[in-house]
Amino acid sequence: MAGAAPPQGTRTHCPYCSLQCGMILIGSGRGGGRLEVQPWEQFPVNEGALCRKGWTAGGLTGSRERLTTPLLRDRGTGELRAASWDEALDLVADRMASLREEHGADAIGVFGGGGLTNEKAYQLGKLARVAIGTSQIDYNGRWCMSSAASAATRAFGVDRGLPFPLADVEQADVVVLVGSNLAETMPPAARHLDRLRERGGRVVVVDPRRTSTADHADLLVQPVPGGDLALALGVLHLLVAGGHVDTAYVAGRTRGWEAVQDSVAGWWPERVERVSGVAVDEQRALVGLLTGAERVVVLTARGAEQHAQGSDTVLAWINVALALGMPGRPHAGYGCLTGQGNGQGGREHGQKADQLPGYRMIDDPAARAHVARVWGVDPATLPGRGRSAYEMLDALGTPTGPRALLVMGSNIVVSAPRATRVADRLAALDLLVVCDLVLSETAAIADVVLPVTQWAEETGTMTNLEGRVVLRRRAVPAPEGVRSDLEVMAGLAQRLGSPVELATDPEEVFAELGRASAGGTADYSGITYDRIEAEHGVFWPCPATEGAPHPGTRRLFADRFATPDGRALFHVVDHRGPAEPPDTDYPLHLTTGRLLAQYQSGAQTRRIKELPDPGPFVEVHPQLAARLGVADRMLVDVATRRGTLRAPARVVDTIRPDTVFVPFHWLGVNRLTNDALDPASRMPEFKVCAARVTAA
Amino acid sequence: MTPERLVVVGHGMAATRLLEQLVAGGYTGRVTVLGDEPVPAYNRILLSAVLEGTHVGEAITLRGAGWYADHGIDLRLSSRVLAIDRERRDVMLVDGTVVPFDRLVLATGSLPTLPPVRGLVTPEGRLHPAVHAFRSAADCERLLAAVPRARRAVIVGGGLLGLQVARALSVRGVATEVVEGAEHLLSRQVGAGAGAVLARSLARLGTTVYTGARAVRLVEPTAGEGTTGVRLDNGAVLDTDLVVLTAGGRPATSLARAAGLAVRRGVVVDDHLTSPTDPAVHAIGDCAEHRGATTGFVPPAWDQAGVLARRLCGDDVRHTGSRGVARLRATGLDVAVLGDPVGAEGEVVEVTNPVAGKHSRLVVRDGVVVAAALVGDLSRVGLVTQHYDRGTVLGPHEPGQLLLPERGAAPPTAASLPDDVEVCACAGVSAGRLRACVDLEQAREQTRATTGCGSCTATCAQLVGTAAAHPGREVVRTP
Repeated sequence: MAGAAPPQGTRTHCPYCSLQCGMILIGSGRGGGRLEVQPWEQFPVNEGALCRKGWTAGGLTGSRERLTTPLLRDRGTGELRAASWDEALDLVADRMASLREEHGADAIGVFGGGGLTNEKAYQLGKLARVAIGTSQIDYNGRWCMSSAASAATRAFGVDRGLPFPLADVEQADVVVLVGSNLAETMPPAARHLDRLRERGGRVVVVDPRRTSTADHADLLVQPVPGGDLALALGVLHLLVAGGHVDTAYVAGRTRGWEAVQDSVAGWWPERVERVSGVAVDEQRALVGLLTGAERVVVLTARGAEQHAQGSDTVLAWINVALALGMPGRPHAGYGCLTGQGNGQGGREHGQKADQLPGYRMIDDPAARAHVARVWGVDPATLPGRGRSAYEMLDALGTPTGPRALLVMGSNIVVSAPRATRVADRLAALDLLVVCDLVLSETAAIADVVLPVTQWAEETGTMTNLEGRVVLRRRAVPAPEGVRSDLEVMAGLAQRLGSPVELATDPEEVFAELGRASAGGTADYSGITYDRIEAEHGVFWPCPATEGAPHPGTRRLFADRFATPDGRALFHVVDHRGPAEPPDTDYPLHLTTGRLLAQYQSGAQTRRIKELPDPGPFVEVHPQLAARLGVADRMLVDVATRRGTLRAPARVVDTIRPDTVFVPFHWLGVNRLTNDALDPASRMPEFKVCAARVTAA
Repeated sequence: MTPERLVVVGHGMAATRLLEQLVAGGYTGRVTVLGDEPVPAYNRILLSAVLEGTHVGEAITLRGAGWYADHGIDLRLSSRVLAIDRERRDVMLVDGTVVPFDRLVLATGSLPTLPPVRGLVTPEGRLHPAVHAFRSAADCERLLAAVPRARRAVIVGGGLLGLQVARALSVRGVATEVVEGAEHLLSRQVGAGAGAVLARSLARLGTTVYTGARAVRLVEPTAGEGTTGVRLDNGAVLDTDLVVLTAGGRPATSLARAAGLAVRRGVVVDDHLTSPTDPAVHAIGDCAEHRGATTGFVPPAWDQAGVLARRLCGDDVRHTGSRGVARLRATGLDVAVLGDPVGAEGEVVEVTNPVAGKHSRLVVRDGVVVAAALVGDLSRVGLVTQHYDRGTVLGPHEPGQLLLPERGAAPPTAASLPDDVEVCACAGVSAGRLRACVDLEQAREQTRATTGCGSCTATCAQLVGTAAAHPGREVVRTP
């Protein structure tokens, strides 16, 4: 393909993960009813590479599974029936208005997603705060990278997943991946690791499983689930012990080191070995790689973050990066590999319970005044801080919790932890409204289902894991009867008597978002659709300027951190261990994760026929399998204190013998997981709980 | 109500852990800590690592002075306690200062025992200049200062500490010999077989071990290869420049005994870490005797500190014992001891290879690893420790498997891959489909193989165009 003229079509980005691979879409068939995916080699993040999810992303175009008419649950039969848009929107608005009248605006909850475009995420926050007037809005990003977001904000004063372009890792000497299986979750990203290794660099993977990503690694460290924090403390201990701390950097660019140095004196290697299951020699091998390197990149992902001590775990690895003097140095530093397509942008524009657009905090009076001015409302009318995602779901239908819930871009029934409890709470609602393109498991239990456009049928921006704002252009017309989320929100706002109108044109919303974000941490005000197209994306912050346009910020922290005094902050953290350690009744660790060919709750990917859909399975080590009397493909029951799952075993030696793994893309898996929350990020502990496995 | 005045006597690892846990638990009393050393508490078990040079000195300070001040803890260094007056509820320091308490914690640790070697102590009551104890940071500093002038060292005691010090001095270029009175090394932790393997490993590292031998007296050097000599009970004399005493310690109980508290080997405490003599007095760590046992290791001391802290913060918890894991910290010697592999009852699974310097022993009761000794091969120590700590009930073959190296299967060659095996996971392309393609370009176009992470490219290149070699194979094309 290289050198050939780029194919005609629409330059856009994949509908799935945070890499937001560039791709070219070509509509064909009558009315653009079919979509062909072609490589877009000029887009720098993936340079034309795609995984099978991307190649087959057109599979839902023209699919019979697409919803094309609103559905209402019939009171008589209890079944969903087709309805007109007016009937559906009127009904939703009437019920919301009467609940608001009777119980106050907080009786209405709004639940968003990290897959929504920036425009939708922004508008959802505005819908909640202005049109509905509720404080009860949050989104599934709490279950994605919130622990890293919380930690990075505290350490660096800003949370941008990667503070540098992803391709920078190629120039590092050592990359440490903590709890990331990027070769499966974002395969084209692995190319950067391979180029790094071709240059002579080294890759370290920290994961309880020997994943495909470990095939790209020079060193694999397999801690017990929940052991990442202890391992980080041990690494820092050995850095101090060996005199490898960059004292000039620590003195010049950070604060808080002394207390952290003392705090790791109690994490000597043999203790770390006992807690984390990582042998002393492996700890020393890891530290040996770090100390021999000039440029080290530490990247965390869900494996490290989805814990009740997830944000502390990230802080501990940030401490390692800071002690080595890496953040702000070229081709070095700390970053988070965000998960969802717009996991980054989705957390910046106000669909989070505690935030307003531009990554502003909702309890900051200046932030409220600024955003209220852009919205044309009185700051006093803006609600305050609401509940975090799981806490909101946990409160649904309770005397103090929301009685109605509007869900956009999320399939809660599959993706929430302790899903049985969540399903009970959803059932207790007076009104559940779900916007989706297919009848997801959550839509299937809704009172009202609103059919919305999918990615190729609408325009909007996404912010990828690098903080690069990219543009998805509409490539094909939407099917008859389908509306965009922006249109849905505008229709609801108008019916709810919103004091201001909500725009429906994405570019207009983006410009408004830019104004709302101006002066905030994530300043988009200098970014336009035209610039994004011309520059292969624009990195925030990119403030509007009077004269020459701001170039955007590819790399953060070169001179200062985004803290008041410009210094990065060390934080003393300690290992607490999983909320639910194994015991006699539940003697194993259960951990969950993703597969290459599926995405998140699977609402889209499970409906694409080219993608294999094996259903859930249970990875079991041969030693454990022999103990349990289980052979490959035999059915087993995985039980936790919250639920049971029956699924076939996969006997593999890539997992620790004391741990089982289940991919979470299917209904039922998250009935097992623990809803213990991280105190700072409110992240549930998806990645470890105690389980018992028996032959079925 | 005035806050409770809590006085902690001793400022070592147990005391520091107690303070950390009190802070974490929101303890509301006023805490005073009396330490007799001139520096804030440090990680004592890493002193041998400092001696060896794997740890810089500042790496072992547990909490800086600022930490104590920040948390309102009155830390008094160089404060040796003279006496405890339980009637008056105060302690007196050697300088005459009186510190009143409502509640007292003894964390006085242990004292090194001086072996019965004539000449260790000079007539003035000081240690012979060549003789070193190895208990405190000051001991470590003094020994480090002596190393540059020393060519030879004799370590009296072949326990964990003795071997660590022996290796440390050896790594620093001092010719080192170990004298152990028992019949084998680490006699309190491991059996004779493991001890023999260790002695061989040490010999290979250049350190001679004399077991079943006691040092009886310091004498003049015989061969003139050192500044002094150590005569053994068999009559042999080891010439040396340094004599390091590592032959164990005993709980520091004299204050408690003088205060009339129940003391046997250690300060007696119940499951609440409370003295049966006085409900306002507690003891933790090396000085404490709980359920008839004293330990001398950090994990039980920390467990005790954690339990006591929670009790002082209002939780009704008990200390019921600890699972001990002892690890030797010394370059070139790999030893892990879990529980009591010599004394524990159960079935024994043992693998010994003295030639390779490996000895592993698991003691298994009802499928649970109740004790283990791993010498020379720690490749499975992480997992064995997890099983031990969690009390995992193992299957009948697992203990044996745990002691054998993991089998790493060689990756299959491209030619041997069955047709239905997925080669490109990113695009989901099987070996058969790749074989059916003429070349890599066609594979890329038609199957999208190699277009994801790219790591399969080499294998794909070997597979494409080989369908002819396998007649009858279906040629698959994408639509």
